[in-house]
Amino acid sequence: MWIQIRPSKNRLRTDSEREGQVDLLFFKLAIAMYLASALGYLLFLLASSGSRAIFAFWSALAGFVLHALSILHRAIFSGFFPLATAFDALSFFSWLLIGLFLAMRYREPSPIFGSIATPIACVLMLFGSTLSYQIQEPLVPVLRSWWLPIHVTLALIGNGIFALTAVSGLMYLLQERLIKRKRIGRFHRLLPSLEALDTLNRRGVPLGFFFLTLGIISGALWAGSAWGYYWSWDPKETWSLITWFAYAAMVHQRLALGWRGKRAAILAIIGFGLVMFTFLGVSALFSGHHAFSGVGSLRGATGL
Amino acid sequence: MSAEILVIGLNHSTAPVEIREKITFPGDDQGAVTRSFLQIEGVQEAMILSTCNRAELIVTTEEPEPTGERVVDAIGRIHGLDMERFRKFLYFKQGSEGIRHLFRVASSLDSMVLGEPQILGQVKEGYRRAAAVQATGPVMNRLMHHAFFAAKRVRSETGIGSAAVSVAYVAVELARKILGELTNKRVLLLGAGEMAELAARHVMNQVDAPLVVVNRTFENACLLARQLQGSALPLDQLEQGLVAADVVITSTGSCDPVICTAEMKNVMRRRRFRPIFIIDIAIPRDVEPEVNDIDGIYLYNIDDLQAVVDENIGGRRQEARKADVIVNEEVEKFVHWTKTLDTTPVIVALRERLEAIREGELVRQNGKLATLTPAQRETVEAITRSIINKIAHDPIAFLKKAGLTSKRNDYFYAAQRMFRLDDRSEDDDFGEES
Repeated sequence: MWIQIRPSKNRLRTDSEREGQVDLLFFKLAIAMYLASALGYLLFLLASSGSRAIFAFWSALAGFVLHALSILHRAIFSGFFPLATAFDALSFFSWLLIGLFLAMRYREPSPIFGSIATPIACVLMLFGSTLSYQIQEPLVPVLRSWWLPIHVTLALIGNGIFALTAVSGLMYLLQERLIKRKRIGRFHRLLPSLEALDTLNRRGVPLGFFFLTLGIISGALWAGSAWGYYWSWDPKETWSLITWFAYAAMVHQRLALGWRGKRAAILAIIGFGLVMFTFLGVSALFSGHHAFSGVGSLRGATGL
Repeated sequence: MSAEILVIGLNHSTAPVEIREKITFPGDDQGAVTRSFLQIEGVQEAMILSTCNRAELIVTTEEPEPTGERVVDAIGRIHGLDMERFRKFLYFKQGSEGIRHLFRVASSLDSMVLGEPQILGQVKEGYRRAAAVQATGPVMNRLMHHAFFAAKRVRSETGIGSAAVSVAYVAVELARKILGELTNKRVLLLGAGEMAELAARHVMNQVDAPLVVVNRTFENACLLARQLQGSALPLDQLEQGLVAADVVITSTGSCDPVICTAEMKNVMRRRRFRPIFIIDIAIPRDVEPEVNDIDGIYLYNIDDLQAVVDENIGGRRQEARKADVIVNEEVEKFVHWTKTLDTTPVIVALRERLEAIREGELVRQNGKLATLTPAQRETVEAITRSIINKIAHDPIAFLKKAGLTSKRNDYFYAAQRMFRLDDRSEDDDFGEES
């Protein structure tokens, strides 16, 4: 019965009413699969057994599919792209992160990325599940726009790519240190080669930058269509721009000055710090257009 | 009494190389020698395992002690040796001890270089030769396939084969961790001595691009370059060579460092900070140790590489302990199977299997039989039981008689396969020998 879209759009549904919903069931199953996958990767790290890594990969893939079903069901249920709450934003971001990891596996098959991506997704989703998963109604009219999925997807893909480059940056620093200090043990063997990690940075930073740019442009266009002005220097916009300049500088240093290796890795980590601040911190500290998304809604801020 | 596994042999830990090289089973290329062991009284199946570190004979027999003596005599005859002198180098392992030994050998736990990968291939080769001349039967076939299975488990579940244990391998492995794939990387050789050549030949297997040789005496550089199909540079163009190279191997006889920090800083700028791997195998060193502190330069000398090798060997010992647990599990499974290969267990299993089929069918037809009176039901039970007994009578009588002949293992094994008496899941893993 809950497959169909509820006719009454004005009633506020309570959490207890949504107990046992299919999307939540899928969500929980997806968390379980991600946890299994993270555990598999952990065991892989402890024993470097290939069969565990393969088990972990398939668990992550199963979780990804279940997670997609959860999001899809939620979209059908709410009648719109489910991104209006912090719960949805975290869920969607974790989904994209796992998706990026799965896609990347064809380029860099080292299971070590799985042992980082799956725990991050687990933490984000477990955190998300402590938040209210109630779909807020009536949905603010500005959120019922097709700009919402476009803007959010582009921005989150950018964030996901930046997350992976930051992780590969951390691995680069670690691997670099191990080789420099001549500590050639099991951990050194588990980590990918410096070359592979630097390639990830070289390709990932410009690609993430591209999506970040599109995310900002689509946000401006959305603002333009909703309120008639494209840019209003609200905190999130400002910090996005700061992030944008940071990554623009990074791309420039790499292309023009040949910065690579350690420096590029450190920059990727700092850049992702900015991204996370813009993504989560700004909404928690300031109010503005974006207050209805992210952690901002924790404070109950819903208006414009 | 059922067939026992008996292993007689010597290896690198029981016999010095002068003894080992005397016992090589010459002329067994086509399995003729293996075959000759079947002529010995008491030997049912035989297989020879001969490598440069070991010589072993694996037989199945019902009377290990007298058969073992006869086998030792035969080994002496084949090699024209008086075996009394060699007896102290030999080991005799029978039953589960022999099985464990064989599994450990196949898993490379008994090798001189722990975890080296060649031994499994050598065991397979010995088995293939023996099987080709029909010197193996059901027990040996099963034993060897179980040994291959145990070796596979050890390889995939422990890290015993994962760490490089020679300096050349460590160097190549490290180069990969720094530079990724090596095929299109450029190698620079500084110094044209014997050491440089030796090192270069190892690395050249991994690299497609022609290498560059730099040497104080340009003629020697040209000479070595020609041998290695590379090119030569005079010493005053070393910096240019360093800018282009990805891997540098230095081995000059110079008393002072040839590559110093200030020069390398300049080189790194010109390389646009592309990483470079420098291997210094010269004594005294050719490269100032501080060069390793420059970003993007990874400097290893021969002692550093040797330290990695030593550590890897230590790691393998730890993994070997895990591997022994796996081997013991597999030995237990195999011993369990050999026990089922006897007259009473086979007949009991056959009876149980047929009874299970009978009961299964009655349960399946329970709905249709529900209308029967107790008396009719009793009749159905009696008829079915009688059919089963009639069917079982001849095979059981045959197996009892076969148990007294020398071909018993083949018959019992056939019975197990035909009636699926041994339905443990890993059976299919062993497959059929071709």
